[in-house]
Amino acid sequence: MTVEVSSLKELVEQASGDDRSPDTQEYFVNMGPQHPSTHGVLRLVLKLDGERVLRCIPVLGYIHRSIEKISEHMNYMNCVHLTDRMDYLSSIMNNWAVSKAVEEAAGIEVNSRIQTIRTIFAELERIQSHQLWWGVLGMDLGAFTPFLYGIRDREVLNDVMEETVGARLTMNYVLPGGLMADIHPNFVHRVKEFIKYFRPKLDEYDDLLTNNVIIQERLRNVGILSPQTAVQYGATGPVLRGSGVAFDLRKDHPYGVYDQADFEVPVGTIGDSWDRYWVRVEEMRQSMNIVEQLLDNIPPGDFLVKKLNSKIKIPEGRYYSQLETARGILGVFIVSDKKDEPYRMHYRSPNFNNLWCLEPMIKGDYIASLIGAMSSLDLVIPDIDR
Amino acid sequence: MGIVTDKLPGALEKVPGGNVLVTRFDEIINWARASSLWPLTFGTSCCAIEMLMATGGPRHDLARFGAEVARPSPRQADLLILAGTIVKRMAPRLRTLYEQMAEPRYVIATGACTISGGPFIYHSYTTVRGADEIIPVDVYVPGCPPRPEQLFHGLLTLQKMIKEGETIREPGVRRKPVISALPEGITLEDIQGEMKELLVKENVVDVQHAVDKLKWPSGLNESSSGDSGANERGAGDGA
Amino acid sequence: MEREALQAAVCELDSTVSPLDANADRAAVIVEASALPAIVRRLRDQPQFAFAQLLDHVAVDWIDRGQFELIYQLYSFKHKHFLSVSVFVPREDPRVPTLCRVHPVAEWQEREVYDLFGVLYDDHPDLRRLFLEDDWVGFPLRKDYQDDFMLDRPR
Ligand code: SF4
Repeated sequence: MTVEVSSLKELVEQASGDDRSPDTQEYFVNMGPQHPSTHGVLRLVLKLDGERVLRCIPVLGYIHRSIEKISEHMNYMNCVHLTDRMDYLSSIMNNWAVSKAVEEAAGIEVNSRIQTIRTIFAELERIQSHQLWWGVLGMDLGAFTPFLYGIRDREVLNDVMEETVGARLTMNYVLPGGLMADIHPNFVHRVKEFIKYFRPKLDEYDDLLTNNVIIQERLRNVGILSPQTAVQYGATGPVLRGSGVAFDLRKDHPYGVYDQADFEVPVGTIGDSWDRYWVRVEEMRQSMNIVEQLLDNIPPGDFLVKKLNSKIKIPEGRYYSQLETARGILGVFIVSDKKDEPYRMHYRSPNFNNLWCLEPMIKGDYIASLIGAMSSLDLVIPDIDR
Repeated sequence: MGIVTDKLPGALEKVPGGNVLVTRFDEIINWARASSLWPLTFGTSCCAIEMLMATGGPRHDLARFGAEVARPSPRQADLLILAGTIVKRMAPRLRTLYEQMAEPRYVIATGACTISGGPFIYHSYTTVRGADEIIPVDVYVPGCPPRPEQLFHGLLTLQKMIKEGETIREPGVRRKPVISALPEGITLEDIQGEMKELLVKENVVDVQHAVDKLKWPSGLNESSSGDSGANERGAGDGA
Repeated sequence: MEREALQAAVCELDSTVSPLDANADRAAVIVEASALPAIVRRLRDQPQFAFAQLLDHVAVDWIDRGQFELIYQLYSFKHKHFLSVSVFVPREDPRVPTLCRVHPVAEWQEREVYDLFGVLYDDHPDLRRLFLEDDWVGFPLRKDYQDDFMLDRPR
């Protein structure tokens, strides 16, 4: 039993030299932290043999903002706002996860109107997040047009949500005990219009990218992640479902009003980049189905069951709540010591765990496949680093 | 030539043998710099979605301001739009990126994080409290995240500064920060209207005024033959 | 399986396992540090548990008691149940055997905890800092962490 603490430099020195074939020379390349296709400030140390990737060591911490430490000095109402800034493409779902944990801890029952509105917004945001991912995936693979299409439709949905929420990205809409504001009178009508607008657009997406030969060539049979590896390496969300494991918290442990909606969980077959792509595109369709079903019968009621003040205290104990964001399971772990600030706040972020699938996925493959595979993981780096 | 003369900060002079553009050299260089800024795609976190993606998209479209050629390499860029939190580990890299950019280089800091550390200022052991602790910043655009319109406002502010030749060029000096904040109570229509107005104003040059401002070499504009339209002024064929 | 039944069943696995009741929503047990990998391996392989995924690994600094609590969240796709496994280690000498051989994702989750709390994992293949620079001094999520850089919120 030994404990050895090493550094990145030592690791690189160790890793160079082994499995060297006689006629090629291996070298290390830094990809990132300032690189257009790492979606932020992820740094990958690649060990290459020609164009083949032998090792891929992610180096994190370029956006580690110490959210967990800050949360220990904040009351629960303020903690919610920090979560917007983690996975900013699933901000409402992040807010919801914390609110859910606090509500369960403080024993607050929220009414079904709040639950329904939260569910609708979560699904709309899932669509929004996938739209952006779709556009960026196209851009990573060298096509600029998908980016324009994705952003165009994202803005349409953004307008609808902005009317109610009042913000474009960091929405802060869900808070413990209810919602920040009631839905705008136009909301139901405009969401319906959006769905009418977006359904044909999704078919257009298929024409542009899904059925495109180049895209298929670059995604099919690339970055294969077997279900066993996916489970062992902690993958959740579309990455896990792309590998054929039909696990979705919305189905298996329903929260909100997902049990009232009828929807399917798309799963892939072999777990290549293409499956992950397809799962996400299909999820957009399913999300629209869910929204359509819920939209017409939003029950009446208050949008805030109890106005919580910032001094809310929750009983001693540990509380864990989780829900399915656009990228996987977001878990919130709160240890309370009866004060108004958490004793310990921890976020189980989906991206942190999904990231580690990258190395088994692309080992021995080309760098170009790495880009496609990484894009199909849909990483948000601030969520990894927190 | 109409379009060109409209925009140029000078006047087109007809002289024997062809058209000559008479202006001050500095002015034309500043005009060129201000009108084609190439931003570096530097986004660390949430602000990047709004500042780089939404503004690059078709709705907001940074291209209207001549700044859409986003470059991933600092050596080809001259505008650093700082979008997102800077942490201690990123700080040396940011400094390197800034140093790698060719002079003249300009910096717009967007979002609360790059101005002061934003939501992560207290009890954080990593967040740098403001990008200006590392590099000089020309324009600050507040918000969390700022709306794309606000970035445009900041960009127009920077363009104005460049044209007047007063940007912050000394590295490491916090001097004369320009905050491109919008006043309270302003609506989206107001901003869009103002943007339109600004754009129109930018694109129309009062040639008569510009010409009057310049000191003409004697002899060139003494006699004019008939038509005295602003663009056609001084058709000096000596007759 | 119901929460209580699951907790009781896990406790019967071994004498080193005892129940923990502070948890609100899921079964929780305490395991002795030395027995941890063996227990987790059995939880993974025995079909009545089938805890295939290590969802999360958290550390809590109980500074008053002089202990770190290491919490492993397990999930079983087959039976759809959650389990939280806690290990208490002394603050002065925080050592625990690694789970990398059982759940590969533990490698990075443990690196995160090492980085922020300074818990040492015996036999870990690559124990490095994850978020902070290699030459960082101290472990910032410990309750007694101090540095000159941090600012307190004015009250
Ligand atoms: S200012 Fe706000 S939106 Fe921008 S990076 Fe900071 S936290 Fe994110």
